[in-house]
Amino acid sequence: MFNEALPEIPDGELERFFQIMLTQYGMDFREYAPASLKRRLGTVLKRYSLSSLSLLNQRLLSQPEYLDLFINEITVSTTELFRDPSAWVALRQQAFPLLAGLPQLRIWHVGVSTGEEVLSMAILLQESGLYAKAQLFATDIDQRALEQAQKAAYPLRLKGLYQQNLQAVLPGIPLAKYAREEEGKLIFHPSLLERVRFIRHNIVSESPFGEYELVLCRNLLIYFTPTLQDKVVTKLVDSLIPGGILMIGTKESLFWCKAAKRLTSLNEIERIYRKRL
Amino acid sequence: MIFQRRDVYLWLLGGSAGSFNPIRRFIQQMPFQVHVAIVVCMHRLRSLRMGMVEAMGGTQGWVVLEPDDKTIIQGGHIYIAPADYHLLVEPEGYFSLSVDEPVHFSRPSIDVLLEAVVGARWPRAGAALLSGANKDGAWGLYRMYRAGYFTAVQEPSDAEMPTMPQAALSLFEPHRRFTADRLVEVCLYALSL
Repeated sequence: MFNEALPEIPDGELERFFQIMLTQYGMDFREYAPASLKRRLGTVLKRYSLSSLSLLNQRLLSQPEYLDLFINEITVSTTELFRDPSAWVALRQQAFPLLAGLPQLRIWHVGVSTGEEVLSMAILLQESGLYAKAQLFATDIDQRALEQAQKAAYPLRLKGLYQQNLQAVLPGIPLAKYAREEEGKLIFHPSLLERVRFIRHNIVSESPFGEYELVLCRNLLIYFTPTLQDKVVTKLVDSLIPGGILMIGTKESLFWCKAAKRLTSLNEIERIYRKRL
Repeated sequence: MIFQRRDVYLWLLGGSAGSFNPIRRFIQQMPFQVHVAIVVCMHRLRSLRMGMVEAMGGTQGWVVLEPDDKTIIQGGHIYIAPADYHLLVEPEGYFSLSVDEPVHFSRPSIDVLLEAVVGARWPRAGAALLSGANKDGAWGLYRMYRAGYFTAVQEPSDAEMPTMPQAALSLFEPHRRFTADRLVEVCLYALSL
């Protein structure tokens, strides 16, 4: 039996959705890549047994309290501890030496979702002797994901994957050094989040709120059109100090971004860049 | 930004277990076509980030690559869906990647790719579904069929793993059934329509 059918998203209903999100909630989805946005909306409709986007539009209009849940559903929370281990190895080997001598290390995780990325960074900083001078800012549009991130508790079934990724990045370091098992969860040590601030922030519509030595924005740009990618990357590069480091997803590209001219490539395969001095 | 790339014919190949060799043979034998882009969506281990392009071997002049996000779709190119990302076709003529949940435990998912082509209303496209041990791709191929695109399915008896082609055939009768050694012929036929 096939159960794959996602409700189709007619353009007219999509326009109405854009209008509601913009006028009611100040959120602009018009420059999200349409194919993946439509698929994501279809998935939400199916999950809530809504037969059309117009029903979702009505709910968004009449139940403002539904917004947080909807944002949690529409944003993509796929992340893991040390996702793409080779990128973290490259960050440690090539970027950390450039940052180690600086008096402070302000790090911005854009679209941090459920927090595994910022935990990865905290562990990497600890193991590199840099954590004490680091300040980490973890932002996301999704309040529910941020709340989950602050708990630093994940399903125990992920333990094997996380251990494997950790070994690939920091051989010989056991996961147990940083996480314990409790009531079917894998709970990371609260000290890893001591220097982390979680902040709700919409990179599409809001300005950066600081200056950073290192910015990570991984697998978020893929959901944007080239036009929006250009705008967002400009914000990210603006927020970097001269010589600061930008890390994006390993299959993301700065091809469409004018701000790329202000960067040099530190590792093209792992998509790690440095802002020109 | 508006791209004028939609004159390219998209030939889409989906497969899983047992499809690697037929697809590699197709890629090696398919005559170069300047107005055709071939898109391959094959299930693979998520840890295999590198090496798939090289594993395909030589071609008849095609450029073979794993597209990055927002890579413009061009004729004369063979695009291999990267590991651990869904590959989608956008109406404006470029690929998008996504890390949405796996579909049928698969990322990239063949369904996601084929449904994106339908959603983008790409003017000219055709798709073939090959061997595989799950039913990913069957629904997407059916969506393509219903939208008027050319569809082909490997004969289950010819497939190393018949589940995937059987799943498609349980939904509809495609324009062609084929054995793996006739895949180039099927593609050339689709292009002639």
